[in-house]
Amino acid sequence: MIRTFLYAIAGLLLGLAIHLVVVLTLPMLADRTVFAEISALDAVNTTRLLSKPAPGAANTLKLDPDLSYAVCRLNLANGPGELSGTLPAAYWSVAVYDQTGAVLYSTTNRDGIGQTLDLGIFDPAQTRLLAEQKIDIASGLLIVEAHSDDVFVVVRLAPPHPSMRDRYEAQLQRLSCGNIQT
Amino acid sequence: MRFLLNLLLMLSIALGVGFGLSYYALSNGRLFGAFQSGPWSGWTQSGTASPDPYTRAFVARNAALQLGKAEGLQLVASNDSDGRPLDRACRYRVDGRTPTATFWTLIPIDAHWNSIARPDGPPGFHSARVARSDDGSLQLYFSKTLSPLNWVEIAGDGAFSLVLTLYDTAFFSGVGTNETILPSIIRESCR
Repeated sequence: MIRTFLYAIAGLLLGLAIHLVVVLTLPMLADRTVFAEISALDAVNTTRLLSKPAPGAANTLKLDPDLSYAVCRLNLANGPGELSGTLPAAYWSVAVYDQTGAVLYSTTNRDGIGQTLDLGIFDPAQTRLLAEQKIDIASGLLIVEAHSDDVFVVVRLAPPHPSMRDRYEAQLQRLSCGNIQT
Repeated sequence: MRFLLNLLLMLSIALGVGFGLSYYALSNGRLFGAFQSGPWSGWTQSGTASPDPYTRAFVARNAALQLGKAEGLQLVASNDSDGRPLDRACRYRVDGRTPTATFWTLIPIDAHWNSIARPDGPPGFHSARVARSDDGSLQLYFSKTLSPLNWVEIAGDGAFSLVLTLYDTAFFSGVGTNETILPSIIRESCR
């Protein structure tokens, strides 16, 4: 009886070990990730709108149907990334994601940016060059440091009313996205 | 024989605990990493650059375009305030106040994260387009049958969830004391 009990305890400990391994390795093993979805959009250096979740189809990215989304993928190996443009006077926010889908940086237009978005994304080496003033950038650029080269940026825009959605999305589509030539 | 049975017991406990606990912890975050208040739960660290291991695993498993910490916070409820699963055959009243935010949306969704609202209507509630009572509190109805005040007509059958997304919110920033202000979900009647 005691031996069975000991086996049960050993099973419990082994179970906890399995649990820890599952939790820690899941981010590496997951294949249906946000990054895979975004990569499928072919949005490298271009701004693409994410279509509004349609009834019946699965909303895999779990988007909010009240918001408009624009996404752009950047490869910092070709130079620092830049996303710039003018957005409507409604609530919008911007987030920079890494390959694991973690948000490296996010901000909203309520933080005093106004209507103009001008975001620069630099990897660690480029940040060092920036600090040494070896990269020329326009003043007023919002500087974000990324720890990896492959990143994507998502801009969320909230039209105040559904009827404004098309006009707002057209403006969202006009955001320019690409590498800064150095 | 005894040894084999014991070994089998050990392995079944190990697998059951290992994978069961992982599933349980990462589904709704009922164990670690997630915030829970009444029927609402959310992952407060999901929008940070270096989330804790549970949140990181949840983010990978969820595969959603989650909000950054500065952008807002998403809360999901799959049960009413009495702990019963939300059922489309019933009428629900979301009653109370929401945390301070620039705006919020409250969308009824199915398992595929699609709005279950009537297809030709709005997908859910938007904070700028609801009527409030004199003290600023909200009474929002989700039902198939006609309801008073703010009503979103839902369609289909089966279980559903409610997603409350607070944009640009001070919730969890540590500023203010509005941590417990979340609306309750009250089941009124079922058909």
